[in-house]
Amino acid sequence: MTHSDFPRDALILGGNRIPFARSGGPYAGISNQDMLTAALEGLVARYGLQGEKLGEVAGGAVLKLAGDLNLTRESALGTPLDPRTPTIDMSKACATSLETMIHVSNRIQLGQIDSGIACGVDSASDSPIEVTPRLRRILHRAFAAKTAMQRVKAFSTIKPADLAPVPPRNGEPRTGLSMGEHQAQTTAEWGITREAQDELALASHQKLGAAYDAGFFDDLVTGYRGLSRDQNLRPGSTLEKLGSLKPVFGTKSPQVTEPSMTAGNSTPLSDGASSVLMGSADWAAERGLTPLARVVDARSAAVDFVHGEEGLLMAPAYAVPELLDANDLALQDLDFYEIHEAFASTVLTTLKAWESEEFCRERLGRGGALGSIDRAKLNVAGSSLAAGHPFAATGGRLVATLAKLLHERATETGIVQRGLISVCAAAGQGTVVLLESVTD
Amino acid sequence: MSAAPRNRAGAATGSSTEEIKDLADLPSFPAVYAAALDPRAGRGKSSGGKSASGDRRGAPELPQLAYRVRNVRIDAERARDFDHLMGGPATDLVHPGVLHVLAFPLSLALMARRDFPFALLGLVHLRNQVLQHRPVQVGELVDVECRVRDLRPHRKGRTFEAVSTILGEHGEIIATDVSTYLVRGSAPSAGEPSGTSPSAAGTAPSAAARAPDHRDFTPPRPTGRWSLAADTGRRYAAVSGDVNPIHLSAASAKAFGFPRAIAHGMYTASRAFTESRVDLSRPLRWDVTFDAPVTLPSTVLVAYEDDPDQGAVRCVGWRAGRGDKGPRQCFTVEVTTLDR
Repeated sequence: MTHSDFPRDALILGGNRIPFARSGGPYAGISNQDMLTAALEGLVARYGLQGEKLGEVAGGAVLKLAGDLNLTRESALGTPLDPRTPTIDMSKACATSLETMIHVSNRIQLGQIDSGIACGVDSASDSPIEVTPRLRRILHRAFAAKTAMQRVKAFSTIKPADLAPVPPRNGEPRTGLSMGEHQAQTTAEWGITREAQDELALASHQKLGAAYDAGFFDDLVTGYRGLSRDQNLRPGSTLEKLGSLKPVFGTKSPQVTEPSMTAGNSTPLSDGASSVLMGSADWAAERGLTPLARVVDARSAAVDFVHGEEGLLMAPAYAVPELLDANDLALQDLDFYEIHEAFASTVLTTLKAWESEEFCRERLGRGGALGSIDRAKLNVAGSSLAAGHPFAATGGRLVATLAKLLHERATETGIVQRGLISVCAAAGQGTVVLLESVTD
Repeated sequence: MSAAPRNRAGAATGSSTEEIKDLADLPSFPAVYAAALDPRAGRGKSSGGKSASGDRRGAPELPQLAYRVRNVRIDAERARDFDHLMGGPATDLVHPGVLHVLAFPLSLALMARRDFPFALLGLVHLRNQVLQHRPVQVGELVDVECRVRDLRPHRKGRTFEAVSTILGEHGEIIATDVSTYLVRGSAPSAGEPSGTSPSAAGTAPSAAARAPDHRDFTPPRPTGRWSLAADTGRRYAAVSGDVNPIHLSAASAKAFGFPRAIAHGMYTASRAFTESRVDLSRPLRWDVTFDAPVTLPSTVLVAYEDDPDQGAVRCVGWRAGRGDKGPRQCFTVEVTTLDR
């Protein structure tokens, strides 16, 4: 091949994940490496990749232990993949495995690699706990000491308070507010009701349950540690049950007159791992693999939330119009919308922003509103509220789910299908991806 | 030490009769506090030296004296620790709060003098205004001058200003830091001048800086929350050197009549400065009002407002209302970047 053959299509060939568990559930005591290895092993088994030397495995975790610096490499080495398969670790909060997918896609499109796996994992049960910065500095001084006396001197400065463990920070470092508190303000500003949030949450459980019942996940999920479905899934939940839950975010803020975000319409802390197999058309054909979708384009955006100029989780509301414009599409031209349910209200504020003339004119600098979407096309196989949200594993779940949906529908209808993935991330970031069905 | 008459062109303040006294080094905080706490000092009661306060029946006078320390190095490690405590990255350009704490022991020493008419520990920090003309690098050598001026009546007593001037090696003024203190309860006599004091920056205090009626405070939407642990005062003392016992622990604060420890005002001001995301390479103004003490431990809500047209960031900090107690504004901070 010459360089003029590029860029070429990067294709989604399939995916595999383990069922997502609630923090402290069946995967307590299981490490990120355990889970990522399990997800990759399932993918290798499903697509016959034993001994295969892939172009790259790109993975990551958000809550990552310092010792896991080569988490993806160590996980891949634990699978039957050719040990000469290179890996890379990446990180972008909740958008991590959407970004690993974009990374692999870009490499394939440019001809740098012919195949790859995008993956991600997170364990809220086994999150890193650090020592205090003061103790860390004392220990470094002690380790660097040349004499026993110097070492003793360094250790002698340790105070009891230095020994307190430091768990991961629950909140945005620059504001001290948790993600839920930030979103509670956005929810109140946009006037998103409790009922609308509970309805979205219920729909997520019902759709995920129905998709499992229909066997949709049979070739996307491999059971692990006694779990065969996502532990958080409550298909039998009702609006009454969801309505009985007490609000947990925004309850202390006078600006949030009616706190509406509960444990039922917010994602729980979760454990899990996901993976997506990708390749060029030739690579897939040589192995007899059926491409499901191609990666059309991707965008990312960030908002300035630090002094409250914009809501923390609103970045996708900016990234999606940019993505659509670049591809000459209207919001309504899409057949599937996968909008990550960090909170039910995140999805609802994003949709409401696109429906708002004022937001689209003043914030997006457009002539008018993007308009509303057909809700029947939104998160049709359930999403994070039901499945759970192991941060770096969510992107991989969304990509594999959407690619399969696109392929199925395109095969049924004979019409090319387009789908959007939108993921908000901590620190005011967002990543969005456009996929298109591929059929024979 | 040497004393020399002084009347230098371009000086920030100082009258022609002012004496300037060079100190070999910056005084240590504990020594200054120990002197100030010594009951035998009898400050504020005696008639003092001939150059300073008047006798009890007349109006008190501030000493016509400046303290100066030359060639003070701005310690890189201290600046780093200061930046880290404020939640910012360690920068090579110095946080103006570092300049404040650099000069603070010198102005304290001035106020701890026997001829200073007021008791040091009764002073209430009302306002702080910094005008910084150019950035300062860590490791730079500067001169520090401190003086007190502008004694005026106030509805709760009297106010005066402690002015610290940071000068570069060619004698140019790098920054002026004006702290306005309230001396409670010393009733002003008729005939003393009154009114709003001018600041070093030559600007009138903003509307927020005028004594607010705290019952009227309606908090804005918070953009952040500070969870201030009980050791906040000790941690600021460690980087600033300011070991004033009212900040260190509930026990030491009680010994001086405060039910709980109180956060250093300049900690809250410096943290808000860091969170204002200021371009430290620009000349800037940093204006702070202290409206109510922040007790420790406690939670403070903050709201920032960016004003790009004015090149300003405004912050208000308050404690949330609880039960019958309404929310209470604790401080306002405004940082304005200026044209070069």
